[in-house]
Amino acid sequence: MSHAAPSPARPLFAGLKRLPEFLVIWVPLLLSAGHVVVFTAWTTWISFTPSTLVPVDGWVGWRNYTNVLATRNWKIAFDNLLIFGAGFVILTALVGLLLAIIIDQRIRGENVLRSIFLYPMAVSFVVTGTVWSWLLNPGMGIQKLVNDWGWTSFRFDWLIDRDMAIWTIVIAGIWQSSGFAMALFLAGLRSVEADLIKAAQIDGAGPVRIYTRVILPTLWPIVIAVMVILLQFAIKTFDLVRALTGGGPGLATQLPALVVYDFMFQRGHLGRGSAAAVLMLLTLLGVLLPYGAWKYYQRRRDARA
Amino acid sequence: MSRITRRTLLAATGAAAITPIAHAQAVKPRLTAISQWSAGSDGAAITALGKKFEEKGGTWQHSPVPGFTTEMMNKLRAQIMAGDPPACSQLKGPEITAWSKIAPTLNLDAIVAAAGYEKVVAPDLARLHKPGGKWAALPLQIYSTNMLFLSKRAMDKAKADKIPVTWADFNALAEKMKAGGVTYPIANGGTRPDDGQKFEAALAGISPAAYRAACMNLDEKALKGPEMKAAFAQVRKIADWMDPNTAAQHYSTFLSRFVAGDMGIMIQGGWAQGVLLNAGFKLDDFIIAPGPSDNGKPVFLLNADAFIFWQRKEADLQAGQKLMAELVMDPAIQTMYSQITGSIPVRTDVDLSGPGWSDGQRRTASALKEAVAANQAVLSLAHNMAQENGMTAAMIDVITEYVKNRSITPDQAVTRLAEAVEGAR
Repeated sequence: MSHAAPSPARPLFAGLKRLPEFLVIWVPLLLSAGHVVVFTAWTTWISFTPSTLVPVDGWVGWRNYTNVLATRNWKIAFDNLLIFGAGFVILTALVGLLLAIIIDQRIRGENVLRSIFLYPMAVSFVVTGTVWSWLLNPGMGIQKLVNDWGWTSFRFDWLIDRDMAIWTIVIAGIWQSSGFAMALFLAGLRSVEADLIKAAQIDGAGPVRIYTRVILPTLWPIVIAVMVILLQFAIKTFDLVRALTGGGPGLATQLPALVVYDFMFQRGHLGRGSAAAVLMLLTLLGVLLPYGAWKYYQRRRDARA
Repeated sequence: MSRITRRTLLAATGAAAITPIAHAQAVKPRLTAISQWSAGSDGAAITALGKKFEEKGGTWQHSPVPGFTTEMMNKLRAQIMAGDPPACSQLKGPEITAWSKIAPTLNLDAIVAAAGYEKVVAPDLARLHKPGGKWAALPLQIYSTNMLFLSKRAMDKAKADKIPVTWADFNALAEKMKAGGVTYPIANGGTRPDDGQKFEAALAGISPAAYRAACMNLDEKALKGPEMKAAFAQVRKIADWMDPNTAAQHYSTFLSRFVAGDMGIMIQGGWAQGVLLNAGFKLDDFIIAPGPSDNGKPVFLLNADAFIFWQRKEADLQAGQKLMAELVMDPAIQTMYSQITGSIPVRTDVDLSGPGWSDGQRRTASALKEAVAANQAVLSLAHNMAQENGMTAAMIDVITEYVKNRSITPDQAVTRLAEAVEGAR
């Protein structure tokens, strides 16, 4: 150790005693922070170089960015991100909240149900995508089943409908993530002080009123947290789309992460792929920075109160 | 770049000193190889090749990367950047030239000359494997991506027995099938190369010259020519005969429906024969014929798999590379390989009359001969033979959207394709 100062033995000994602590906390933290920072910086650098198959040095200015922004794929992907992001985040949160409220009624078999709803979270997005690609395929999934039952005019062919295909990804995403939202909401619901609820009951409020007026308002911080976590899921969604629709029909379900992968690893354009990745990062920052600012403001306010 | 430093001089002297010793010692040849061939008939074929390699006393270390060729390239890229390329990897088409610029490849000229291989390879094909005029890669097998696979049962339903020659014949047959109760006259998967293949088959069949100018040379005038519009119109017909429910499924998902006559015609490469046989179907279940050609002479959309050899210093790997190169050029090995996968050998001097070859393979081989004679052997766009991946992907974007979206007119598609080419140049 190089910081062995010529001081009395006591502090040195104390420092040594705390060494494992430092090693366990700081080394992984620095490594992962370094990992993120270095690779983000490297990707940003590559996005300004003429790299194609392998990274090369050079400077092309904003050319990769203008090129990516001009492609149809990126435009479609970005529009889809708006639809998918909004649909996925809002609907997943709603479904999660609904499940949480139902489970909160001290129903029987709560543990079993909770596990069932949480279980999809344990499945990888690729599996979810593949299974739903079979379920949603009109020729072999839900539509065929209902048709075979006798309701022959039943149509559920969103998977092959260019305008609706993006919603199939929303459906599969909700199935996968609503259990996660449920778990967070449930924790929130359970942490509402019993005294508050008692007081409302004494005041003569019915169960619906108690939820809308007493319990849900206290859930706001959790709602925001769930939304932010889901939104960053949405922005980086990749494997789900790849397994479910492959970006199709045509280009109808392209998402930014798919475009990045496509440029980098399918088309041999590391420069353009990196530019698309940086654009994705900026989108993410657009979500996370306001959230961070909001948290900061809240903490300041709490500290003052 | 090639400044001579003391270090390289030293290394060169060292290498010169070591090489004779390496030759004198009988090292056990070893080969590290990567390819996309992991399962099915492709997997079986490369495993058989590995067995032959081991029979000759070598150590075979093959790491397959399943998926499209681009997936395999990702591993190749990682290995090259780490300074540890495989001794040999699969690679094909213009990518050979592109990749040979980022890492040193082996100069195979001496081995190729010793085997007399150059004389038995079609010149257009040979050119792709000689970046800078030196052999760096060896083609192994050839497919045509526009072969017609006709389901026997669907033909029976249509009461048809004539193999279509032109696109008009093809359209008439599809109509007959539809009328005869074949639900979907065209069997097709929903992946991007599938859609690309329909377009290249249409354009090359309508005019091989226009295909060469537009898809291979990216000639601006040809890209906006009347043949392009006609090709897109033909693709629309094909798309309307396909099962709309395929979504993003692989074409092989539908093979049983194809054989059963629920679907009638596949436009696929010869590899589909290997996949069909590997799935337990019989040669009697289907007919293979060259793709439609409006001038009556066969059009061959060339797709050739090849191995590229990367420079390695290890003596055992070098010995392995030499052995592998000799095996790949060996007519017996090419015969064995093609009989498993359904391709035809690269060597033009292999006799396909014997047992073990299908009528489809014989037709493919004679189609290649006639197409080369008529200057109608062209390089496949959908399977990355005509252009590098970036350009190919930009063009397929337009084609796959067109196939899936009935509201795009052929005129609009032509304009979009020309724009996509401009954007990707």
